[in-house]
Amino acid sequence: MPALFSEGFLLGLSTGFYCLASCLPLLAPYLLSEGRAAWKFNFYIFLQFTGGRFAAYMLFALLASLAGQAGQYALPAWVLPASMLACGLLMAGLAAFRVSGFKGPCLLDAAAGTAARRLPIVLGFVTGINVCPPFAAGLLRLMDLADILKGFSYFGGFFASTSLFIAPVLLGTPWLGTRANEIGRLTLLVAGLWYAALGLKGLV
Amino acid sequence: MNETSTPKAGRGAAALFALLVFVPVFFFSGQLAAREISRYYALAWALFAGLIGFAIFRTGRVSFYRRIFFSASALAFLVHFKFSLFSKMFEASCFKEAPFCHIAMAPYFLNYLYQQYLAFMNGDWRLWGPLTLGAAWLFITLAIGRGWCSWACFYGGIDDGLSRAVPKPLIKAGKWALRLRDLPAALLVFLLLASFAYMLPVYCLWLCPFKFTETFMDADAGVRRLQYALMLAAIGALLLGPLLTRRRIFCSYLCPFAAWQAFWGRFNPFRISVDPAKCSGCTVCVSACPMTAIKCAPGGKAEISAYCNLCGECLEACPGGGFRYTLLGLDLPAGGRLAAALTAQNFFVWSALTLGAVFSSLWAPAALRDLVKLMAG
Repeated sequence: MPALFSEGFLLGLSTGFYCLASCLPLLAPYLLSEGRAAWKFNFYIFLQFTGGRFAAYMLFALLASLAGQAGQYALPAWVLPASMLACGLLMAGLAAFRVSGFKGPCLLDAAAGTAARRLPIVLGFVTGINVCPPFAAGLLRLMDLADILKGFSYFGGFFASTSLFIAPVLLGTPWLGTRANEIGRLTLLVAGLWYAALGLKGLV
Repeated sequence: MNETSTPKAGRGAAALFALLVFVPVFFFSGQLAAREISRYYALAWALFAGLIGFAIFRTGRVSFYRRIFFSASALAFLVHFKFSLFSKMFEASCFKEAPFCHIAMAPYFLNYLYQQYLAFMNGDWRLWGPLTLGAAWLFITLAIGRGWCSWACFYGGIDDGLSRAVPKPLIKAGKWALRLRDLPAALLVFLLLASFAYMLPVYCLWLCPFKFTETFMDADAGVRRLQYALMLAAIGALLLGPLLTRRRIFCSYLCPFAAWQAFWGRFNPFRISVDPAKCSGCTVCVSACPMTAIKCAPGGKAEISAYCNLCGECLEACPGGGFRYTLLGLDLPAGGRLAAALTAQNFFVWSALTLGAVFSSLWAPAALRDLVKLMAG
C-alpha cells in the first residue's frame, strides 16, 4: 500500500503543473472575491477546496476500481460537463448577486451567503473530476489494479502531491483588500460564465 | 473649456518645443522608413507630430490636439496593417508584419513565463521578440506609464476619436459605469489564468474585435458562432459604445492591457492631480472623463482612479482649473526664466507625443505612402 501511495505521489509530483493550471481559474477568482486579509480565513477556504478535490478523487478511485473489477470503464460522459455547467452557473449567480448589491428577502440572502461559503467545496469537486492527462494515467493504473483500497491509496498520494502545487496560491491572499474583492467578484462572474459555456458545450 | 487654466505660450517657445518633438521623431522615423520607403513620408509624419506639439504648447489644449494625433495614428494603423490584409491595393512591406499585439501580451504573460508562448510572433521576433518586447514595454512604462492608452496605443485612437464625434451622449452613464469599472482588471485576471490553463490565446479567440482572420477560431461551428457573436459585441463596444456614451467603452471595460498598464503605471511619476481647494464638486470632470476614471469622493470632491491615462480631458473641462499634470502629485520647483516651460505638463506631453510618434513610425509613413499611391491610381 505505501508503495502505491508513493507511486501516486510521484505521478502527482511530476505532473502537478497541469493540476495547478486547471485549478487556478476556479480557485483564484473565488479567493480574490471572498478572501480576507487573514491567513486563517483564507486557509479555511483552501481546506474546503481541497476537501472537494479529495472527495472527487476518492470517488474516482472507487469508480475506477469497480470498473476495473467489472472489466469496463463506464463513467457517464455527461457528469463532467453537467458539473461544470452547475458550478459555472453557481459562480456567476453568486458573483452577480454580490456585484449588483441586490438585497433580497432574508431567507434568500441567507441562502446566498451559505452557498457562497460552501462554493469552494463544489469548485474543488469540479476540478477533481476534470480529467487531465496525468489524472487519466492514474485512472488507467487503477483500472489495472482493480482494488478499491489500493485505489484509495494511489489517489491519496496523487492528491497529496498535487495539493502542494496549489497551496502557494495562498501566499498572496493576506494582502487582499476591499478593492481586490471587488475585482475578484467580477472575475468570478466572468469565470462562471466561461465554465457554464464550457459545460453547455459539453452537454449539447 | 476653461481657457484661463492653462496659459498660452509664445510662438518662439512653441516652435522650440515643436522642434524638440520633430527631431527625434524624424530621426527614428527616417531610420525605420528608409528600409523600404522614401524618407519624405517619414518627414511628413515627423512634421505632423511637430505641428501637434506646437499647437499643444501654444494653446495649452492638451487633449484636443492629442486626440487629433492619436486618431490619425490609429487610422494609419487601420489603413496599413488591417486593410492590406484584405486588399492588394496597399503594398505589403516589412511594416505590414505586426511584431506583436500589446493587448494580447498582457493576458499571455503566464504562458510566456511557462512556455515562451506568445499569441502572435513573426519570424523576426520569435527569438528576440519577447526580450525586446519586455524591454520596450519597460521603457514605455517608465517614460509615460498609463499615458500609453491615450497617446500611443494604435487601437485606442479609434475609440477616443469616436467618443468625441458626437456633441452629447445618447446614453448617460449611470451607477453601473462605476460598478463595472474594474471589469478590465477582472478580465485580465481571468484571461491570465484561462490562457494559462488551456494554453490558448483566449482573448484573441473570444474577445478581440480587431482580428481579420479565422485562423484561431474554433473548429466547432456552434462555438465559432459564439466567438463571432462576442467579436461583434466587442466591435459594437469599440464603434457604437463611444458614439452612444461619449466614453471609451472598449478601452474602459474590455481592454485587459488597460488594466495591466493601470497597475504598472503607478511606477511612472507622471500623474494628473486635482486641487481640492479649486474643486466645487460640480462633477463636470466626471462626465467629461472618457475613461470613467474620475468619481465624486464622499467629501464631494473629484477623485482620480488608477485607470486615468493622462489624456488631459479633465484639464480642459474643469471650470475652476483644478486639474494639472504633476510628478508624483508635486509641481516642479518654479523659478528662473524657464519656469513657465519646465512644467510637468510639458515634460509629459513631450515624452508621450515623441514616444507615440516614434512608435507609430512603424506604420504611419507607410500608410501615407499607401494613400498617395491610392490617389495616384
